[in-house]
Amino acid sequence: MTILYVVLGTLFGFVLSRSGAADYDFIQGMFLFTNFQLYGIIGTAVVLTAPGLWLIKRRGRTLLGRHCSVELKPSHRGTVVGGLIFGIGWSMAGMCPGPILVNIGEGKLYAVAALAGALVGTGLLGELYPRLQQPLKMPALAVGPGEG
Amino acid sequence: MILNQLPPLHWLAAGAAIAAITLALLFVANRRLGISTGFEDVCSFVLPQPYFRRAAVVQGRQWRVPFLCGLVLGGFLSAALGGGWHPTWALGMFDRVIGWGVAGKVVWMFAGGLFIGFGTRLAGGCTSGHGIFGLSNFEWPSLIATVSFMGGGLVTTQLIYRVFFT
Repeated sequence: MTILYVVLGTLFGFVLSRSGAADYDFIQGMFLFTNFQLYGIIGTAVVLTAPGLWLIKRRGRTLLGRHCSVELKPSHRGTVVGGLIFGIGWSMAGMCPGPILVNIGEGKLYAVAALAGALVGTGLLGELYPRLQQPLKMPALAVGPGEG
Repeated sequence: MILNQLPPLHWLAAGAAIAAITLALLFVANRRLGISTGFEDVCSFVLPQPYFRRAAVVQGRQWRVPFLCGLVLGGFLSAALGGGWHPTWALGMFDRVIGWGVAGKVVWMFAGGLFIGFGTRLAGGCTSGHGIFGLSNFEWPSLIATVSFMGGGLVTTQLIYRVFFT
């Protein structure tokens, strides 16, 4: 299965790279309303993923017959606050999380600084979560050993 | 134009390809597309906080880490097969309008990354998990998150390129 994830990730990265989704100017163009490309990409992806998702969920099984279900994300104040903060970062770097990695692959050297920032930011959230949990009404942490 | 002055894929083709990959992840492997959670997976290798010991994080490593590596490889192949892989500091309109050198860009990008890492994990997802998967699955929190990060980005870019640096 590991190979499958690498292959799907590679295809995803290639498409992000070639579509403009990992290009600083395209992201600024989206937020300046001077470039339609990213709206077209995200819109098309959602319009085509929605019916496919519905069919897969109705079937309830993966291709190989295993149980298939979608885990839903929680809703809390952090959804809005975090979204706004992420938006600022997306604009500044001209990259969202996937394109950070794609840009590193492409050889855009400044993307390494963005990745370092993103990992430190993630670490910071993990450290502060217990303190943010109550004011932002976020769910308790489900701590477990996991299988990985 | 994107890297190496290539013309970009048509948005319909790119959107369709992203939909196909998203659906393949779920249909073949029962995985919900989401990239920013991968930052937690990477952090979980070195950070001891309970936040990084959650089952969802530790179990996710086995698929998200290879997927993230694929993203880097995809970017590399895109460059190598399309005009060649040339490491660069060039940054489009940032260079033309703001014009900071390498040190300025490193600080700027690190700061942007901080907002991305902290914000996506606080919101529980990014453009992929909320914007593509969540919206396609008609999830209310994903709509709220998407409106929030589009709003945050819009205001920031408008301020940078229409107010502070014109």
